[in-house]
Amino acid sequence: MSFLFTMRSPPPPSAPTPGNDTLVLVGHPNVGKSVLFHRLTGTYVNVSNYPGSTVEAARATARFDRTASLLDTPGVLALPSRSDDERATVRALLNENLRLIVQVGEARNLRRTLNLTALLAEFGVPLVMALNMADEARACGIHVDTAALAEELEIPVIATVATGGEGIAALTEAFTHAKPPAPFLRYDAETEQAIETATALLAERAPHPHLAARGLAILLLGRDNEVECWLATQTAGGEILARIRELAPLAGRGSLPAQLARERGHAANALARTVTRQSAAQDRTLSLLLGKIAVHPLWGWPLLLAVLHAVYLFVGNFGAGVLVELMEKKLFAGILNPTVTNFVHTFLGEGWLSDMLVGKYGLWTMGMTYALALILPIVTTFFLAFGVLEDSGYFTRLSVIANRAFASFGLNGRAVLPMVLGLGCVTMATLTTRILHTPRERLITTFLLALAIPCSAQLGVVLGVLGGISFGAAALWGLSVVVILLVAGWLAGQLVKGHRVPLVTELPPMRMPVMGNVFKKTGGRLKWYLAEIIPLFLLGTFIMFALDRLGALPWIIEAGKPIVTGWLGLPPEASAAFVMGFLRRDFGATGLFVLGSQLSLIQAVVGMVTLTLFVPCIASVMMIIKEQGLRTAALMLALIMPTAFFVGGLLNHFLRLFL
Amino acid sequence: MTAHIERIRLTGTPPGHHVRLAEFGEEIGSLQREQLLAYGLTAQQTLTVLQQRPMTIVLYEHMELALEHSIAHHIWVEEEARVPG
Repeated sequence: MSFLFTMRSPPPPSAPTPGNDTLVLVGHPNVGKSVLFHRLTGTYVNVSNYPGSTVEAARATARFDRTASLLDTPGVLALPSRSDDERATVRALLNENLRLIVQVGEARNLRRTLNLTALLAEFGVPLVMALNMADEARACGIHVDTAALAEELEIPVIATVATGGEGIAALTEAFTHAKPPAPFLRYDAETEQAIETATALLAERAPHPHLAARGLAILLLGRDNEVECWLATQTAGGEILARIRELAPLAGRGSLPAQLARERGHAANALARTVTRQSAAQDRTLSLLLGKIAVHPLWGWPLLLAVLHAVYLFVGNFGAGVLVELMEKKLFAGILNPTVTNFVHTFLGEGWLSDMLVGKYGLWTMGMTYALALILPIVTTFFLAFGVLEDSGYFTRLSVIANRAFASFGLNGRAVLPMVLGLGCVTMATLTTRILHTPRERLITTFLLALAIPCSAQLGVVLGVLGGISFGAAALWGLSVVVILLVAGWLAGQLVKGHRVPLVTELPPMRMPVMGNVFKKTGGRLKWYLAEIIPLFLLGTFIMFALDRLGALPWIIEAGKPIVTGWLGLPPEASAAFVMGFLRRDFGATGLFVLGSQLSLIQAVVGMVTLTLFVPCIASVMMIIKEQGLRTAALMLALIMPTAFFVGGLLNHFLRLFL
Repeated sequence: MTAHIERIRLTGTPPGHHVRLAEFGEEIGSLQREQLLAYGLTAQQTLTVLQQRPMTIVLYEHMELALEHSIAHHIWVEEEARVPG
């Protein structure tokens, strides 16, 4: 499970705990479902200010009722489901032992919230509405009469501010007296006739244990693929589906799904108007100005450069410079390593066992030192910077100014989100490609992530090594990677068949990040990170130790010379870094980090560019196999490794012409 | 001074102008149409155009939506325009 999503592994959402009822959180993207989930369960899942931060459902036991479990589902833009995350939500509704649906809506945009309510109300399941972000609505001068709305919908409607805990007690109280709502929409006569016929078919021949046939009939008439899959598993499901598909032309002109959505939109609009009042808004000049600059065709780019420079200063200078100096030189080299070495030598004497623990390739002196003294300070600062940026709402705005560049890859700006998340962890970012709409977009984005996006640890090490030489060296590395990304993206866009989907995206307001949230998720990410990398770093160190003991390491270094020293122009010892890089690219990059003083500017840039493009880590490969299949993953790896050495060598020879 | 309703493309609306959504053109596919409806874009919705480059960004009901030109170009809007006379 990816660290950016779930800090503790929940049971698979498709397997509800026997005997336990489930409360499902459903709502649009970026309305605060995950914050509410944290409030109601104490379990932390990723909480960020951009749509699509949850791509898999997460489950935890409810704080207010230990016999019930709560499910946090990915945001749905609309139902019937069209994207993978929407399908995950419909799957949860179909498969869970539902006690209650908690619709998390946005008070600022009631009309859109009610659009979804119009469909959820058809399922015949008790429904409670948490009208979240009530503080932002107040700041915009929007006042929703929740009592009047509750009366209209015949369900509890509670105004909440999940980030501050406002309304949570009232919400949990409301769970106890929730009941199935009365549908507030009658479609036009022709559509109603089709719905009634489909409802009768389902109720008679394939009743669902929890969901009302009318709700499922509406989804089926809207061509919801997930409900069609469920129906296919029922007796006579195929026949029923064929009959329902025949009904669609009866229901008027044009696309029936769009017609259903339009009618829901009109009903939601009418209801929202009756319960909403607008008054003067608070001054949001700074938020609006920042939001405007971030997507400005001219000023958006200097702002991006300023943000990147600030991240470089914080991670590269402070994290990889000041903090690593403190940890590596003062704490580990000065105190811990001599103490541990003395201790081991005292009890084990000199020999292979103590060499394995505290020698050149010792589990402590190399594995733990790399993980804790070199990587930990770097990833800590990166996660802090990343957390501030993602909570600010900047990343979604980045998709607007990056849209044109991504169009040349056959993608749209939405792909910038997995790319940026890849700077945190490529494994998680590969999972996040599910927010993209087509298999083509997912394939190209996954390939680019695997090829040219360095994860946080590697990025930190790169900034540490190259920043130690000069800002120009770091800029040269950045420029090289961007050029490779553009070329590889363009080629992939030409080679992978399919149509490009134009970008339509909501821009969340720019917000001042809540530092408590930033620290909380940094802590959670570090916990996950250390749990994953320490075993891998120890395994990598042990492999290096074994290769050295068996005399294979000098042989590998010798065998790698034509490529490593000849083609790439690196010192022979860099071969060891590439061996380490097979396990994790950041482990390999750390191998170059310790060679830092021996490397010239060209060698450092070439080494880091080659390692950036080198094979993705084991966890990423497993995720690529999971998302794209074994064959595609194998093909990607077969392309990536030669590309890394080819590009590295080209860069080496190119730079030597000028430097 | 009389006023009449002009129907223009959303991409042809200068930033800062307030318009009413008239209809989606036939060129917008059904999935994209569903998506726009889900974002709350329906006929007669009042929109404020915030910018046109690099993408069309509209503000309505305190929500900002960015639309690529290939979509915005096929959205027809109405603007009350003053004509001489």
